[in-house]
Amino acid sequence: MILLEAHNVIIQQTLTEKFVKAGSVDVKFVDYDGVRFRISTPEKKTKLLLSMHIRCWDELLNYGALEVLQREYGARLQATPEPDYNVSIEIDLESIPESQEERDAFIMSAALFKRNALAAPFELAFKEFKDLEAAESGKGNFMEVHYRDEEAIYIQASPDRVTVIFSTVFSDETDRIFGKVFLQEFVDARRLPAIQNAPQVLYSNREPPLEIRHVPGLRNSEDMGYVTFVLFPRHFSNPSVSAATISHIQLFRDYLHYHIKCSKAYMHSRMRHRVAEFQKVLNRARPEVAQTERKTISGKTMVSR
Amino acid sequence: MSQLSPIICDNGTGFSKIGFAGNSDPSFVFPTAIATRGPAAQQSRAPAVPSKPGHLASKRGVEDLDFFIGDEALANAKTPGYGVHYPIRHGMIDNWDYMERYWEQTIFKYLRAEPEDHYFLLTEPPLNAPENREQTAEIFFESFNIKGLYIAVQAVLALAASWTSNRVTDRTLTGTVIDSGDGVTHVIPCAEGYVIGSAIKHIPIAGRDISQFVLNLMRERGEMASVPPEDQLRVAGKVKEQYSYVCQDIVREFRKYDQEPYKYFERYEGEHSVTGRKYGVDVGYERFLAPEIFFNPEIYSSDFLTPLSDTVDDVIQQSPIDVRRGLYKNIVLSGGSTMFQHFGNRLKRDLKVIVDRRLDASALASGSTQKSSGVEVDVISHKHQRYAVWFGGSLLASLPEFYQSCHTKAQYDEIGPSICRRYQIFGTAL
Repeated sequence: MILLEAHNVIIQQTLTEKFVKAGSVDVKFVDYDGVRFRISTPEKKTKLLLSMHIRCWDELLNYGALEVLQREYGARLQATPEPDYNVSIEIDLESIPESQEERDAFIMSAALFKRNALAAPFELAFKEFKDLEAAESGKGNFMEVHYRDEEAIYIQASPDRVTVIFSTVFSDETDRIFGKVFLQEFVDARRLPAIQNAPQVLYSNREPPLEIRHVPGLRNSEDMGYVTFVLFPRHFSNPSVSAATISHIQLFRDYLHYHIKCSKAYMHSRMRHRVAEFQKVLNRARPEVAQTERKTISGKTMVSR
Repeated sequence: MSQLSPIICDNGTGFSKIGFAGNSDPSFVFPTAIATRGPAAQQSRAPAVPSKPGHLASKRGVEDLDFFIGDEALANAKTPGYGVHYPIRHGMIDNWDYMERYWEQTIFKYLRAEPEDHYFLLTEPPLNAPENREQTAEIFFESFNIKGLYIAVQAVLALAASWTSNRVTDRTLTGTVIDSGDGVTHVIPCAEGYVIGSAIKHIPIAGRDISQFVLNLMRERGEMASVPPEDQLRVAGKVKEQYSYVCQDIVREFRKYDQEPYKYFERYEGEHSVTGRKYGVDVGYERFLAPEIFFNPEIYSSDFLTPLSDTVDDVIQQSPIDVRRGLYKNIVLSGGSTMFQHFGNRLKRDLKVIVDRRLDASALASGSTQKSSGVEVDVISHKHQRYAVWFGGSLLASLPEFYQSCHTKAQYDEIGPSICRRYQIFGTAL
């Protein structure tokens, strides 16, 4: 598995199960970046309530998250969310689509709940880009999404591109070094002819990029990293391409951390292999002890067990 | 910010039960299997070594990311180039390379959790070597940078799971756990959260044997003739799960079936997995004979002849004398093969007979006229029995004390993996 999937497997599994056979359920689970979910049946078995708590909900609201969710889920979106959560959708098992394909499509869209909520600022930026392109000057709205405690995504549209900047914190020294190598490799790998179309990536450690220097409260320490993506019109002009771009770029931070962990696991397996090899060498080098028969004075043989 | 719920990971020999604390069922239950590139037979194959210098991307492929776990692993078993491995053998982790990658995908693909934000509760079999714990801690703290780790013994979690039963009044961690899964059945005595290692006994009869026994019975009756050979074991397994129960008296049960066969015989309808042809089999005496092999093993095997109740009694008699009362009073069932109806009642009855007989004998031998007040025997069954270990973990990890009992990343960095040799018990109402 190289890319992380955008949908939540637990939502998908639970809904698939409940669509076949209704039953009461109450599960709480999480998704990346501290998103909390709950699926429950508060009233009756055929009414599922899916609620989400997302850290940066207030910011997302400003960037039109509610409209995006309204578009995706229509009347299923609840006006008042469940207490302790930010947003809820209600799925009535009596009014779900009949055919299997439509059901699968619906389940998938519910499993993309978090992705859709977080897509709002990106969609807004792509929209602003269209206006700016026509006007040929100016700057779009500078959007900040603090999706984790100390990390944020900054998005800004310009007449010729959309810039997305991630700030990320590495909690561990080893992670930081892996991350640095990884991100530099990212910048290098783009030179390969096969992936010329990928967005331009810039990485800076510690120093925030120029675009966000003016933002107050940026931490200037060794464990901070900033990754800048420059999206050109070819990455979002076509609706299906732009949807894929949003799904991928949202998960970038998790993708990065996942691969740091994978690289560590790979390193560990190499180390284990090497240790096993050395152990073999050591075993071979053990001097052979001459086995002489030892006898007591009375003539009995001593045997070591 | 509110704390994100801890992750409970119960990796068993056959299946892994994974989910978040606070829920009543695991979110994922899938086989502990990993399908990687390369033949299945080779053990701990060396990772490919880079050959040419140049771009890192061209130096080496992504073979270490090309693998599947769980159900997907089994589905890909027949894909050319993949081999399936089972990283856990007899409850202990056998291949750390595979296990590390197995966890990697469990966390990132299925749970979709950032390990740096979560506490983890893992389980281990009784008598696990401390080195294994250290290895586990190393992987979780160094590869995944988790916040905190708690490794609990499976039997203790099974005891904790029984607290939900309404028959349990005090939350004690003293009791005997009968853990019966697919491969083997363990009888494990625990005193105040600590396993009495010297008294543990294993019984070589478990789920797989019951299925095999059902299959033998049905074959002898000629019932399986209509079932395709490749489906037979699966059908036997279904019959076991859906229709079997424990009876109180075999002879009476046989008579009941013979007098009113239409009332007691059931019919199992199945479908051929390839051709889709329908077939049906009659389910008869195997309904009550299947679980009977726990109580009268001689009907199934010729080399293991000790009934479950005798084994349980032996285990308790081998434990220190001051905990025996507690062990008799709190016998807890865990695992799929203890799910049969009335299993608990039957075990309790058989055990009571043994205990009472011993008391009478000792009263007779001492010649005193004073009567013993008796020993209370109770077998607890509850509705979370199937995933009792996982559920116990979920229960314990949602207690506030859990966070204090965990070893944190900071402690690990300070002391090292040896920190995991020690765990403190918590949550009891002592």
